[in-house]
Amino acid sequence: MQGLLFLSPYTLARGGELSTLTDLSFANRGRGEPLLAARGVTKRFPGVLALDRVDLDVEEGEIHAVLGQNGAGKTTLMNILFGLLQPDEGQLYVRGQRVHFRSPHDALAMGISMVHQTRKLVPAHTVLENILLGHPGTRGFLNLRAIRREVEELCSRYGFTVDLGAKVWQLSEGEKQWVEILKALYGGAKVLILDEPTSVLTPPEVKTLMASLQALVQDQGVTVILVTHKLPIVTAISHTVTVLRSGTVVARLRNSEATEQVLVQHMIGQDIALSMADLPVEKGRPLLRVEGLSAYNDKGVLSLRGVSFSLREGEILGIAGVTGNGQEELAQVLAGLRPPASGKVLFDGRDVTWLPPLDRWRRGIGYVPAERYEVASVAALTLVENTALNFHFDPLFSRRGLFNHPGLEQVTRHILLSYKVKAPHPYAQARHLSGGNLQKLILGRVLSRKPRLLIAHLPTQGLDVEATAFLRGKLLEAKAEGAAVLLISEDLDEILSLSDWVAPIYEGRFAAILPREEADAETVGAMMAGLYRKEARVP
Amino acid sequence: MRIGRYELTLQPRPERPGVHSALTAIPAILLALALSSLLFLPADTGFLSAYRAVFSYAFANPHGLQATLYRAIFLWLCTFAFLVPLRAGLWNIGLPGQVYAGALAAFAVPYALRVNELPAPPLPAGLVILLMVLGATIAGAALAGLAGVLRAKLHVNEILVTMMLNSILFWLVAYMIKEGGPFMSLTGEGESFNLPPPLYAPLLRDVPFTALLALAAAGLLDFLFAKTTLGYRIRVFGLNPAAARYAGINPVALSLLVFLLGGAFAGLAGYHYFAAVPGVYKIPGNYGYYGDLAFYGIICALIARGSAVGSVPIALLFAGLSLGARFAQGQFHLPFGVDYALLGLLMMAFVASHFLYQFRVVWRAVAVEAVPHVPTRIPER
Repeated sequence: MQGLLFLSPYTLARGGELSTLTDLSFANRGRGEPLLAARGVTKRFPGVLALDRVDLDVEEGEIHAVLGQNGAGKTTLMNILFGLLQPDEGQLYVRGQRVHFRSPHDALAMGISMVHQTRKLVPAHTVLENILLGHPGTRGFLNLRAIRREVEELCSRYGFTVDLGAKVWQLSEGEKQWVEILKALYGGAKVLILDEPTSVLTPPEVKTLMASLQALVQDQGVTVILVTHKLPIVTAISHTVTVLRSGTVVARLRNSEATEQVLVQHMIGQDIALSMADLPVEKGRPLLRVEGLSAYNDKGVLSLRGVSFSLREGEILGIAGVTGNGQEELAQVLAGLRPPASGKVLFDGRDVTWLPPLDRWRRGIGYVPAERYEVASVAALTLVENTALNFHFDPLFSRRGLFNHPGLEQVTRHILLSYKVKAPHPYAQARHLSGGNLQKLILGRVLSRKPRLLIAHLPTQGLDVEATAFLRGKLLEAKAEGAAVLLISEDLDEILSLSDWVAPIYEGRFAAILPREEADAETVGAMMAGLYRKEARVP
Repeated sequence: MRIGRYELTLQPRPERPGVHSALTAIPAILLALALSSLLFLPADTGFLSAYRAVFSYAFANPHGLQATLYRAIFLWLCTFAFLVPLRAGLWNIGLPGQVYAGALAAFAVPYALRVNELPAPPLPAGLVILLMVLGATIAGAALAGLAGVLRAKLHVNEILVTMMLNSILFWLVAYMIKEGGPFMSLTGEGESFNLPPPLYAPLLRDVPFTALLALAAAGLLDFLFAKTTLGYRIRVFGLNPAAARYAGINPVALSLLVFLLGGAFAGLAGYHYFAAVPGVYKIPGNYGYYGDLAFYGIICALIARGSAVGSVPIALLFAGLSLGARFAQGQFHLPFGVDYALLGLLMMAFVASHFLYQFRVVWRAVAVEAVPHVPTRIPER
């Protein structure tokens, strides 16, 4: 059982005593040299000071949370710790020894491993193949049976249950994350950097992850650096919190001092209202009517199975569900990006079931897709050109085939200003925007068209508290101005705080369509999990 | 790389204006020339005089300069043929095939009108020339459009389709011009019939009018991509097809359009080389050489990074060096292939300079020291 951990040069350096590691995990915290330290780390990107003289101390055997809003510099700092980026100034130390990570290779050799926000697995390969990929022990010939034994042993030690023979594309997001963590541990990692590990997980998966991380730290002496902006996770499991704001460290707290309120203040630098005022709206006339809509997903499985509803102007219908229950297909069919298998869509009394996307934009259907980077923006184009994604067909901005560049720039400037997008200038490339700022730009673009129907798919996923509150406010404004909003979200709080109607979706069907007053978190949560289903009512 | 206490690292460089990246061409050219001086070692003369011979033939000798220009026009058109689909993220590897299609269509016009058999041409010469040009562009566009349709409708890889069409067209040309083929010359030397002199393309100071078309196209293409809605849609589609679909851009129409436009340029290139260059006016037996030459359009478009105007000097340089090196090869009894080697080195130098330009080389001291005691700042709450 000890054989595996000895693979790590780090363990070897410590004399290879596994038991010592375990003892050290808590006892040693807070004294002696930190396991991993950053001193005065500064990193500049074009036009942005991403990190400004950041100090970080990670003690051995702790869960160290790095908290901050989008764009605070968390990911940049982690990329430096993992050798993906080099600091412009400042130094890194491992156990007091100055180190230089020229590439992740150097960091891995020191037992530092990172699990990225986006999965870095080969979907067509099995779990086992993914785990051994890139492992220093695999050269030339593979002894798959021996490796499988080792990995199985590792799994049972950490209490993971993953089918090693399964192909990665068959796994859920939570399982994929386990595979990545397992891969890191198999590679001899003693320090695990997890970048936003919970952003794609369902609530039960988050719970499992948190429990397993605690077990890893307590029983195996692994040190975890947890990058997140989710306060409950920080207060629940971290031993120490370092809070970043705009590239500087604003606080370093022990768990006992770190209440959610204190953390929010540090993160944001001010108090913000976390609850929102409900704007009273008159019920408008019916705008959208969907009848028995079904659609296949990319794998050819019927994943939207007969959904019917109608929506009035000035109403928000919140579709609550765990990702993968047909929400994406519903949004895409309504946006014209996926053909329906059956059913009908009526918009403002007209059958638009087969209308191409461009005509939908023209008629006032606006779509904010879940994939900010992959679908809703073009990284290599400027912000002005990204704005044009929603305006290139508009006669105001394209006359006789020629682009109205000044007009587009004006619109972009207006969006940057009124949506508080932090960007150096309108001609910066979209790739330089953080997730929150990009999402503000995208919602700003779509809402600037004054759509009559807005389809917002995971509009605040992965965003910090401030951006989330801001964007939710904008959705309510749009509703107040008479837009019908289809809000698709995994976040039950978001659904319940914004919607007039709540439709929990499970396996491609609405479990019910409840008026907001009848929708409480427990009922909707149970319906999302497929526990029971009422007869769907059409409001 | 580490030397003593110092370390040499490559760091990403912030974005710079386009002019800077254009200037990287100068060290790239110098580097390529320095490297290729090795090629001239077996020459009867020193490499400096060899270079003088290369450049003076290509750009100073009236005869050589003309040949350089004829070849440059061909390369410009081939470059645009590759460049337009490239901006939409699609790879038109079918330049030779489209060139052949253009040449065949151009020669089909006088063949169909039987100009070589009738005592007097049935139509005014100017009109026939116009028909030849139109035929060539339509044929090139149609052939490329086939790849575009297959790509857009059925997701068939456009690289494979265009490559295979190259082969088909190569043998189609052979069938048409070799012994027994419809376009066979009267003497049956494995080449096509000669155009009658009235159908020679009009010259402006000894340069065919196709030069004007190509140069105007360069300006228009860059204008298209920079200023028009269509150009914007092509660029978005090329950079992120999913975002293009999201924005309501029709992928089928766009894929077809860029291939039609690209193929039209390649067809025009075919017309240019076989029906407009003085001294040719036929499809010669070694037409395959010109087909291969068309591939340099890919290189020029990639080096110019999708800028049509930027590709103009690059294609001119490639045209001149390929001719000048071939000339020097004969004059100094150099081994076969010096011209290809020179172009190859130039290509590699351009690609390397593009890559290295994105980084800056930084020396920094590597210090081995202990952690200084810095208490972490905890601000007052």
